[in-house]
Amino acid sequence: MNLTHPNIVLARHAAWKIWSNPIFLRYCQSRLRMRGVGVAMLLTVLIAGFIVAMASSIGISGRMSPSDAARSAIIPLLIMQAVILFVLGTAQVAGSMTAERDEGVIDYQRLIPMSPLAKVFGYLFGLPVREYAMLLATLPFTGWALWRGQVAMGVWLPLYAVVWSSTLLYHFTGLLTGTVARNRRWAFLASIGLVFCLYTIIPQMAKFGLVFFKYLTIMPVFEESLSGLLPEAAGAVVKAGQRLLPSVKFFNLDFSEAVFSVFSQGGLILTFVIMLCRKWRRTESHLLGKPWAAGFFVWIQVLLLGNALPLIEPGTLFPSRGFYRMVQVLPDWAPSPMEAVTMSGMYGLVTLVLIFVLGGIITPTADHQLRGWRRARKQGAVALPRLADAATAYGWVLVMALVGAAGWFLFTRALVESRWFPGHVVPLRTLGFFAAVMLAGGLGFQTLLEWKGGRVVGLTAIFVGVVPLMVGAVCSAVSERLLATALWLIGMSPVSLPFYAAGSLLSIAELPVVAARAVPRAFYFWLLVGVLVMLWLSVRLWAARQAMARRVLAAPAAGDSQSPV
Amino acid sequence: MDSDYSNPPDGLTPAIDIRSLRVDYGDFCAVDDLTLSVPAGEVFGLVGPNGAGKTSTFRVLTTLLEPTYGEVILDGVDVIEDIESARRILGYMPDLAPLPTDLKVWEFLDFHAAAYGLGSRRQRRERVAECLEEVALSAQWHSWCKELSRGQMQRVVLAKTLLHRPRVLILDEPASGLDPLARRDLRNALRKLATAGATVFVSSHILSELAEMCSSLCVMNRGQLLAAGTVDQVRGQLGRTERTLTATLLGQPAEAAAWLRAQAAVHDLRVGGSQVVFGFTGSDEAQAELVAGLIHLGLRLRAFEEKRSSFEDILVEVAEANRRP
Repeated sequence: MNLTHPNIVLARHAAWKIWSNPIFLRYCQSRLRMRGVGVAMLLTVLIAGFIVAMASSIGISGRMSPSDAARSAIIPLLIMQAVILFVLGTAQVAGSMTAERDEGVIDYQRLIPMSPLAKVFGYLFGLPVREYAMLLATLPFTGWALWRGQVAMGVWLPLYAVVWSSTLLYHFTGLLTGTVARNRRWAFLASIGLVFCLYTIIPQMAKFGLVFFKYLTIMPVFEESLSGLLPEAAGAVVKAGQRLLPSVKFFNLDFSEAVFSVFSQGGLILTFVIMLCRKWRRTESHLLGKPWAAGFFVWIQVLLLGNALPLIEPGTLFPSRGFYRMVQVLPDWAPSPMEAVTMSGMYGLVTLVLIFVLGGIITPTADHQLRGWRRARKQGAVALPRLADAATAYGWVLVMALVGAAGWFLFTRALVESRWFPGHVVPLRTLGFFAAVMLAGGLGFQTLLEWKGGRVVGLTAIFVGVVPLMVGAVCSAVSERLLATALWLIGMSPVSLPFYAAGSLLSIAELPVVAARAVPRAFYFWLLVGVLVMLWLSVRLWAARQAMARRVLAAPAAGDSQSPV
Repeated sequence: MDSDYSNPPDGLTPAIDIRSLRVDYGDFCAVDDLTLSVPAGEVFGLVGPNGAGKTSTFRVLTTLLEPTYGEVILDGVDVIEDIESARRILGYMPDLAPLPTDLKVWEFLDFHAAAYGLGSRRQRRERVAECLEEVALSAQWHSWCKELSRGQMQRVVLAKTLLHRPRVLILDEPASGLDPLARRDLRNALRKLATAGATVFVSSHILSELAEMCSSLCVMNRGQLLAAGTVDQVRGQLGRTERTLTATLLGQPAEAAAWLRAQAAVHDLRVGGSQVVFGFTGSDEAQAELVAGLIHLGLRLRAFEEKRSSFEDILVEVAEANRRP
């Protein structure tokens, strides 16, 4: 038997050749077995056939034209395809990925000499291959409905392009959760939760002026295509409504909904690819490097501002405008000042949460730091490389906090100084307060995480972030006399600080009497406390890092002096 | 140390070269500045109790774990810097090797053969058949992986490890779950691999078996390398030349006992009838002088018996000694 071969040349796998990707083919083999896929395909064909038959029959019996009757099947088919790809596919990706880790077979795949990107693509397209097969089974029905319904290619092509990019985005989310989550049950819950949060809850922020987030879903393109997919009469009504919809504007540029959705989702997909490749290369690595995390944060800020600012003057950014549009368009409509205050607060909160997420990703654990210092000692260095995972994330989070404050300030100033609120200005000192809010919240979180670890941060989040909100809410519900106390308590939570800042610093704020007195006082007090705590934490973190560095660098390196056995 | 495993013999590139390797988990040091060289074509054993640092060392060697620091070169490839190339030349079989539940045996092996780029479908099939034959599992070609016994699973994973003809094989407890016959086959297969030029680094808790299987071995405990070399060299390095000697005399056992008690390397002496039984920690030379001394005293030595501690006993003793704070 030829067991070793000195000149063996093993073929390499290009990441883009998905059809010859061994991981993809392995899942084609296991997930497309006739016994399993046969039942799934049969059910899919039955349901899709039923949808088409029912829609056509109802249409014909309702004396619709043949094309309208065919069109009435398109939306139900689209919903079915969305369930297959977004729900079943994402759950499959997250669940299978975790199962591989749980069973231990993932180590074999780690050892395969394929590039991390090729492995990521293999899993991305391989794990949900049965769902892709089920989708294919629905396509003849969809094709017939589109052809028979005489739907223009310009309508369905962008829609399916965004369905495709959304599918990739959702599956990447599942893949990432499955790769990172520690056990199978958590992976499933986390992936469902993350998908729900990212693509259902966060897009709701669009209603508060953060328009960019809605482009993470297929909804904008779906709404744009709706008139072309529905029967003609219904389509005409939708089309009339669409004229009132804001177009996609990005600063001074105009984009189609589909192009902008693909562009927005592409950025997130790229970030997910980076995260997964880093994890495949080294399991101990942070999900993102420090520069990428900071760059990603800036990119989100640019997108948020680029989408929101052009919509302020026409008024389409304001939530009440959207509400009135559904009922009737009032010629004398104007946004309420508190609407703008809430939108400013929401922008600040979202920015703060982004800092928490990205800061959490790049902050080294104590274990990382120790290993980094020991490595530095071995290499004769006295400092850690700035971009290493083990290096402090303090400076990067500081930059994010300042950039976030600047973005928040620009958004708020554009809102308040718009034509809707004549005579109001946002002074430059507001920027200083916004920066203080971001630094107190963002840097406070980061320093505590780096100094004390995740457990202490979790407890702090509960007792400082959540409990004051709950107690405050209960107090305010008990009696009006406790309202001031409730506002003071609520102000203690860092997540309420952006709203308090907007309510206290903006001249357009029209707070009720009790709140007008309590909110600014609570804001200035808790902001001062927050900044002082952040400074104290910074000093403690610096001292802790110095102590760790001294301890490790000064310790006799056993192995350095120890002669090998 | 007679054979210096921290440095390769002159002119020879070691197949496995570990320099100042350290692995930490927080404050716990799993591998503490390990330096070790394994020449090509050896079956090299790694012995140590639980928590000795064996698996951490193996995970670094197989690119699955980034060390705190240190250098690991496998067949000229830097494992930490050039992960992909390292993965091409190594084969790894983890402890209690799992198998996917949704594949058949041949599918599992064919997937790995394809992943390693082993030629056309036909060539892959041939190679899979060859490896299955090597582990005596040809009959299980169409079996589902989940239907195999523990031992059969171990052998399938061993077959997977051999598929791409790795130049360095790293096997973590490969014999666990194997019946005696399969263990013998494994032993033969490893020897055959080494003869063909591969380097096999293998760990086991079954120490006696490892001693039979390996041309050399090393002992780790608490993350440190205690000894390396052949079994006898390791025995010497561990400072355990422990043996029990029995002198059977014709008369005067008390006089012999008195003289022996005065000797430095003698301990735990007891007299029973005409026999004096005692522990001796001296070298072979010292033992010869001891016998000569007894005869020189005029004692009538009828028989002299030596019983050495087994290798396993020594390692257990080392582990016990290191466990104490």
